[in-house]
Order: sequence, then structure tokens, then C-alpha cells
Amino acid sequence: MTAQASVRNATTAAPLRPQRGGGPALPKGRGSGVADLVGVIPIGLLYVVFILVPMVVAVFLSFTSWNGVGNPTWVGFANWSWFFHNSPGSAISSTSSIWLTIKVVVLSYVVQTPISIGLGLFTAGRQRYKVVYATIFVLPMLLSTAGISYMWNGFLDPNFGPLVPLASHFSFLNQDWLGSSSITLYVLVAIIAWQFIPFHTLLYAVGRRQIPEVLYEAARIDGATPAQMFWQVTLPQLRYTMVTSGILMITGGLTYFDIIYILTKGGPGAATSTLPLNMYNTAFQQTQFGYSSVMAVVLGVIGIAIAIGLVRGTGFGRMQSQQEGVN
Amino acid sequence: MRSSSRALAAVALAAAVATGAAACSSSSSSTTSSSSSSSATSAASGSSSAAATANLTIWADTTSGGTGPSDLALKALAQSFNASHPGDNITVDFISDANIKTQLQTAMGAGNEPPVFWTWGGGVLDQYIKAGKVVPLGTTSTATYLSNFLPSTLGAVTFNGQVYGVPVEGTQPVYFFYNKQVFSDNHLTFPTTWSGLLSTISTLKAKGIAPISLAEGGQWPGLMYLEYLTDRIGGPSVAKALQDNAPDAWKNPAITEALTDIQALAKAGAFNKGFDSTQFNGQSDALVTSGKAAMQLMGDWDLGSANQTFVNAGKMGMAAFPSVGSGDPADLAGNTATYLSISTAASPAQQAVAKEFFSSALASSDYAKKQVAANEVPVTTGADSYFTGPLAAYQKQIYASVQNAPSFTYSWDQMLVPSLGTPMLTNLQKIFDQTETPAQFEAAMTTAAASAS
Repeated sequence: MTAQASVRNATTAAPLRPQRGGGPALPKGRGSGVADLVGVIPIGLLYVVFILVPMVVAVFLSFTSWNGVGNPTWVGFANWSWFFHNSPGSAISSTSSIWLTIKVVVLSYVVQTPISIGLGLFTAGRQRYKVVYATIFVLPMLLSTAGISYMWNGFLDPNFGPLVPLASHFSFLNQDWLGSSSITLYVLVAIIAWQFIPFHTLLYAVGRRQIPEVLYEAARIDGATPAQMFWQVTLPQLRYTMVTSGILMITGGLTYFDIIYILTKGGPGAATSTLPLNMYNTAFQQTQFGYSSVMAVVLGVIGIAIAIGLVRGTGFGRMQSQQEGVN
Repeated sequence: MRSSSRALAAVALAAAVATGAAACSSSSSSTTSSSSSSSATSAASGSSSAAATANLTIWADTTSGGTGPSDLALKALAQSFNASHPGDNITVDFISDANIKTQLQTAMGAGNEPPVFWTWGGGVLDQYIKAGKVVPLGTTSTATYLSNFLPSTLGAVTFNGQVYGVPVEGTQPVYFFYNKQVFSDNHLTFPTTWSGLLSTISTLKAKGIAPISLAEGGQWPGLMYLEYLTDRIGGPSVAKALQDNAPDAWKNPAITEALTDIQALAKAGAFNKGFDSTQFNGQSDALVTSGKAAMQLMGDWDLGSANQTFVNAGKMGMAAFPSVGSGDPADLAGNTATYLSISTAASPAQQAVAKEFFSSALASSDYAKKQVAANEVPVTTGADSYFTGPLAAYQKQIYASVQNAPSFTYSWDQMLVPSLGTPMLTNLQKIFDQTETPAQFEAAMTTAAASAS
């Protein structure tokens, strides 16, 4: 898309916004309240059946002891006190699971965000072969999670993998990448980043292209350096993209399961057993659905709290324009 | 507007994913008190009542999408049963080995279980029996077809004197499988004692060969060492006490010694490099068949999973776990068999047809021959004369060892209640990694066992 086109987009988009300050834009004809309600029913039903009911059931189950067969028995706060007193009957301590989960979330955010911004800005540019690069960057998005896992499993195979011949020359390659209690978590964070950076790169590329070119022209006229333009124009304009991408990364990291399950099953020992892995094992391997529901509720509450916090704290929810004065 | 709804969607998605595990299993937690127990007793005495006809579905386990030789044998058996029993229609639904336990557990919880289901017996089956979900088949005297099976193979499905399942797949004891070439090149014979094994390991290690291939990435392969060492040191009563959840059963000195021996093996470098991420699915077999490693402790399914050219050429050696202490070296550990059980959700007619299928088809010598043709080792009496073909020597050895075993300990992860399986495997991997001491293992398991019912 050319600069001209994006300017046109920006200007034609503006009049669609309600011009009066603040307040939601209500459609004309306020009398259609019943019709509105009827329109909400389908999605409302789906929301209740697939989101609210399971959440309420999970909260209920967290106060019971249930092996998945027969009827749950009420045990009060026993599961909760297990959870907060390091769960003597559980395979994996809840404290270690929580720390591992926090590590995955924080490291994923810290690793993925700068790389995604960098690649996103690069692919949004106008250099030659951009399409070729963009295609290469997006490739991991096209692969299934199981495919990615098996590919990396083969690549990091300590006996037959392609790194094995190199390891005799470079001793730092001589690692049990997926079976070490010290490095495996970081290897997993790297593989997860490899899988998800393309998606966030796309988000940032789109976000960058929606920044009106006039802002850069104005900055250039004022004598701004590229670095200044990045810090003063690009990043502030990408604010909502960062919030979107951040929410997806953080809530995604909290609940991330697939690659870890396929590659390590939470092992070796419990070295990569994050809260979702621990929850799955407790529910479906140990058939302790009550105790695993505690973890589900904790994960749900943390996820919702972080998402709401991000939406509110960043002004994302109010949708204030970042382009005041552009038009 | 669009992006704010996306944020909402993200919030909702996170919540949905977080509660997902609870959601799919809890859909009808209160409907499980079914009308089951009444129908269970009425049909329990059931010799085949020829009048009843029914359609029924069997949930069967598969590791090959329902196309493996043993899958096809079961399918063919059902088809010939249908042909000779007009009006009856038995269909076999194959479910991937990775999912079947979870799927069955979920179905049981929701009251959607199939009339006939696959089981490994042990603690999981016991849980279903206690919930009134399984139809008892009787004893070897009330249901005479049960005496067509080797007695040691019904232990895993016998509770309170009643048999609850019928063997469907062959027996799967665990042996050491080794590369004969590697052993002869290094002038070694397979050791029959623990000290012999240790010196074999140091010889192989000195030659730059990984002595033992261990697929600990899957966590269950390490358990076979604990099972055998415990039995060889303290006899089968130690595992029996674990199954009965006797107080302090996990602190038995035999278990302490077994765990110490495992750590000594790991410290001596007995296992291949990166054993903690090595998978059984191809990798650990390839280590042995390529000669990079010398041996692997594995169930007899290894004969089917390892490189077939290698196996059929007779290059794979098979040996019993060496003797260690006062335990009987003829004892076996592993999966005695896999079984089919009838659920109480089956109608009386379905139960009668299922029992007819068990007695006239599963217990028949015809099926035993089909199993042999599928490279299984059936547990039907007198099956030893059926073995022909390239694996006959191995199969005869396996059959004889099962027939003569004073005790056949069921794999602990199947034998114990499910709530103990994961803690055991997780803590045992820490033993192999030297990140936990035997005392810590025992303390963790004692606590877990105390809270298990």
C-alpha cells in the first residue's frame, strides 16, 4: 500500500467516528430495545453455555473430590488449602508450577515483543524482496503445533539429531536440550517464540501501515532522526497494537500447553510442568478433578485480571484516538 | 470498535481455555448415578441366552489407527461372530492409545460409556468397579470359558473373587532386548546376575557404546527398572502391598535398595546420552539396532516396533532381567494382558451378546491362532503349539516364561489407582536425574498414597 492510500484511509475513516465528544455512539431509533435484546440472545446463549456455565462448574468442582466417575463429594476448602500449602498429595508442587508459568509468560513477552516489532516494521516497509522475507517469516504460522513439535524434537534429538556431529566441535552444543532440568524450560520458550512471533509480526506490520505517513513527513520536516521517529511516532502510534499483542501473549502464555505437552510432558521430573500441564495431569492422569479445578479457577482468575488490567490501565478500553490533530 | 471486541474476545478466550479441562469432563456430573446396578446382577450368571440379539460397540485401543495386525484380528473376529450370530452386530471402534484412557474416563463420568470397553485392569478398572460401572463375569467355575486363559493373566481383572474382564490382546512381559552383534563383538554374553550386568556395563562403556538405551522422555520406561528391581530384591509381596495401599508400603527396604541401584546405574553412565528426552517411538529402538547402544529393557512389543529387518534376521537377543537379591529370577513384570470388560450401561441383551462373544470368540483357539498370526503371544491355554514364522522362537520363549512365572507383577502405573501413577513417574524421573534421593521419593509417595483412596 502506498503512502497516499494510507493517508486516504485515515481521512475517510475519520468522519465515520461520532463527532460529539465521549459517550457511546447509539444507532438512531432508540425505541428498538426489544429487537436489540432478541439480537443478543444467540451470542448470549453461546456465552452462557460455553463460558459462564463451565466457569461456574469449575468453581463448584474445586470444592469437591471427584475422580470423574460417580458423584463429586463436597470437601469444602480442602483442595484450596492443598493448593496454597503446596499440595502434599500432588505429583508436582503448585508453587513450582506457578513460578514456571510466570517464567514462561514473562520470558515469552520479553523475547517475542521486540522481535515481533522489529520484523513487523521491516515487513511493513517498502524495500525489495519484502514479499519474500514476509513469506519466510510467516512460515511457522502455517505449520501445525504437532508438526512443529516433532520437527524440533528431531532437530534437538541428542542421539541422532543434526546437532550431534557439530557438538564434537562446539561443546556448548553438547546438551540434552529437551531433557535437562536447567535449560529445557528456556528451549521451550524459544520454540514457543518461534511459533508465535510470525503472528505478532503480522499484527505489528498491519499496525505500522495504518500510521498516517503525514506524521513521518511532519517529523522529517522538523528534522527528526530515524531513531526519534521510531520512539516519538511509531511506538506511540502502535500503542493499541502492543496492548492487543500483549494480551494475547500473556493470556496465551498463561494457558500454553501443546508444545510443552508433546515435547516434555512437563518433564524431566517436573522441570517444565507449568500450571496448565499440572492441571491436565492432575485431572486426566491422576483423575483428581476437584483439585485440578482449583488450578483451572486460579488460571482463569489470573488471566481475566491481567486482561482487564491491561485494557483499563492502557486506555485501550476507552478507545481514545492516538491521531488527534492529524486531520 | 473492532479492536475492543477483539480484546473482549481475548479475555473470554483466556477464561474459556482456562476452564476448558474442567468443562469437558463435567458436562453432566450429576447424571452418573445411573440405573446400572440392577441390570448388573441379573445378567451376571449369564450363560449365553441364545434368544437375545443386540447391536453393540466395543471401544478398542490401537497404536496404528486400527490397521495394525492385532487390530485386524479383533475386527475379523467380530465379523465372523456377526456372520454366525444372525441378528447380532458387534462393531469395533478403534481409539488411539494416547487418548483412550481419557476418553473412557470422560465417557464414564458423563454416563456415555460404550457397552464393551478396553482396559488394562488394575487400579483404573477397580475405580470403575467401585462406581458400579462394570459387569462381573463370574469365576472360573461359574463361567468355565475363563479357564481357557493362563491363570496368572486374570489377576489384573480379578477383584473380590470375581473376574471383570477377558484377555483380548497378547501378553506383554518385559525383557532385556539386546543387540547380539554388539555383545559378540565385545566377547560378552548377556549377564544373569546384577554384578554381571554392572561389569558388562563398564566393559561396553569403555568401548564407547552406550550400555543401555532408555526412553525416559516418556517417563514410563524407567518404571520397569523399579518394578523388576523391587521384585528381584523383595519378592512380589512388596508390589502387592503397594496395590493394597498398606501403610508405609512405599518405605519398604526393597524399594529403597531398588531406587539406590537405579541411581548407581545412572551414575555409572549406564544409560544413553540424553535419555531424559529420548522417546520410545523410534529413537530408543534405533539406538539398539544401530549398535550405538547395546540393550533396552522393554515390553515384548519391542519385537514389533524395532526395525523388522533386524528382528527377523535374528539379530535381536532377548533375556530375562538378571537376579539381584532373594527374589525369584523367573518372576515377570509387565502388562499381563489387555482386556475387554462389559459396562453396566449395556442393556441386558447387549450384556448377553457380549458374554457370548467372550466365551465363543475371545476364548477360542481360533482367535489364539489369529493373534499368533498378528505376532501376538496369546494367553489362551495350549497356544504354544501355534507359533510358527520368523518370531516363533521368541514367542515360545515368552509363552513359556509366562506359563512358568511364579509371579507376574502388573505394570505399577496400571496396577495403582490413577492418583498415584503420575506422582510415581514424576518422582522416579527425578531419581534417574539424581535430583531426588530415595528417601525423598518414598516420602513423596507415602504422602500421595495417604491421600489416595
